[in-house]
Amino acid sequence: MTDVFITGVGKCLPGEPVSNDEIGSIIGKISDRSDSLGTATLRKNGIKKRYYALTASGNYTHTNAQMAAEAIHDAFAHAKRSPDNADYLATSTTQGDYLVPGFASAVHGELGIPPLELASFQSVCASSLMAAKSAWLAVRTHEARLAVASGSEFSSRWFQPGFYQPFYNEDSRPDPELEFLRWTLSDGAGAVVFEPEPKATGISLRVDWIKQKSFADRFPPCMYAGAATNKAAKNQPWNLYNSPAEAYQAGAIALKQDFTLLYKMFPAWVGYYLELLDNYQLDPNGIDYFLPHYSAQSLGQEMKKLLIKTGAMIPEERWFSNLVHCGNTGTASIFIMLDELVKAKPLTAGQKILCFVPESGRGICSFMHLSVFDNN
Amino acid sequence: MTNSDSQLISTQQVLRQLTIVWADFESRLLQVPIIYRAMNNQLQLEDYRRLLADHYHQVKEGSGWICRAASSITEPYLEQRAVFIGHATTEHQDYKMLERCYQTVGGDINELHKQGKNIGSEALSAWMYYKASQANPFDLIGAMFIIEGLGKQFARTFAEALQHNMGISAEQLEFYTYHAEHDGDHLDELEAILSTGILTIPDIQNEIIRTAKVTARLYLLQLEELGNY
Repeated sequence: MTDVFITGVGKCLPGEPVSNDEIGSIIGKISDRSDSLGTATLRKNGIKKRYYALTASGNYTHTNAQMAAEAIHDAFAHAKRSPDNADYLATSTTQGDYLVPGFASAVHGELGIPPLELASFQSVCASSLMAAKSAWLAVRTHEARLAVASGSEFSSRWFQPGFYQPFYNEDSRPDPELEFLRWTLSDGAGAVVFEPEPKATGISLRVDWIKQKSFADRFPPCMYAGAATNKAAKNQPWNLYNSPAEAYQAGAIALKQDFTLLYKMFPAWVGYYLELLDNYQLDPNGIDYFLPHYSAQSLGQEMKKLLIKTGAMIPEERWFSNLVHCGNTGTASIFIMLDELVKAKPLTAGQKILCFVPESGRGICSFMHLSVFDNN
Repeated sequence: MTNSDSQLISTQQVLRQLTIVWADFESRLLQVPIIYRAMNNQLQLEDYRRLLADHYHQVKEGSGWICRAASSITEPYLEQRAVFIGHATTEHQDYKMLERCYQTVGGDINELHKQGKNIGSEALSAWMYYKASQANPFDLIGAMFIIEGLGKQFARTFAEALQHNMGISAEQLEFYTYHAEHDGDHLDELEAILSTGILTIPDIQNEIIRTAKVTARLYLLQLEELGNY
């Protein structure tokens, strides 16, 4: 098996950055009370700017597939490769533009490049590293020579008041399960290019390993859409109602997050992280950049204490994240972070980068370990 | 590397392994029927009463096996023995708290006293006393990490779910909320023992982890076998 390098990184953040007090003009208003819950959520998630593919007038600037295609073009430009030579495309998204067919086909269509092999990954945040792993393995096993993986989200369309009514409207008690996501997630795409050789000049990132584990054997859905609740007795899938309209009326279409369950997933994620530290004999102090799809602030004092006493805490000054000014873009986030890290930070040969993507969807935890290569 | 450096690394390694065991245990706990039903609002008061009754023996015996463990500790570990004895004293009255809770949910105290162990509690109890009878049984720190960890990490979520879903009162939940508040301190004391030189005992690190694993499994068994005597 051959070494594999990330030779290009790219992103697409649609439109202009949207500040906290402008969010309502894009995602719409449900009620004053839901707006106040939104303000509280923003204080908690710490996000200051984000981007939306929806406009204040109700139009859209991109589809999900168009954002992915733009990010992929950007990544190929950075790799100084023609996308026409790509032979493997892995896409990831929480929800494509169409229900059918697969999202990778839509992205391929948008890219306007010749026929190539595809893989469509659909999960939540962790689908990013599923796509990355498949592209990495394709190159590593000589199945492909120029592969690309993308992550893209068009979350804002889920947050329009019309997606919730009639079961959630101005008369409803504001529901944290719904409002948390409305005020946290936004739109965007990121992409990375994989090749069997580092770039002729400049920085490349060797992919040392990508590992992932699912805990769906022990957790029910936590961030979900397609059922009115995640409780076993009433979790009938939306397409088993008599009609889509009936499913919508029952609240089976809205995107929700179960908080109680979310906090129960933390120990499983931390346990997996500790397991990997041991398996790979990693020294947390040897990591130069830690890219978490998660903020240190939300980690909580208890978790931090636990990481310190198990000798597993990566010093906070090495945490790198751009969630604050790019927003939480789900599966796109980790690629958008890598894009900024590579383009804005003075990386030097030998530095180690650890990417961490937990997924609350149904409890997935994934990591990617990279080493900096410099052919200057 | 100085002695204190290597001691710190050994302690961190043990705590790391214990946390991995804990993580698996905690998420498996969520699948045990009594816990799953509590979290999903499917429990009745009599289920809670059954849980208290089946928990009773373990709580009553807790300070018993810790005392036995203390009596199995010999020189040069007498300082550590004092921590075990202190711990046993702290836990000693806990069963009375559980008795009060049992009565507030309509349980008959005489019935509780007559109640035998369920088959899981039987296995757990035998295992704890067996371990406590071995010489210098510091591997029991692994068992305590699981049992105290339950109090610290899980009792609160569990109590909150019961309060929220079933409207069980603070008084009826006293046993669990008390542990949610205090077991963190107990855990800190136990973890401190790891840095007192005991990790140089041959093979003790592996034994601590193994004891934690077995205890975790038997604890689940105790919960799985509620009502099976």
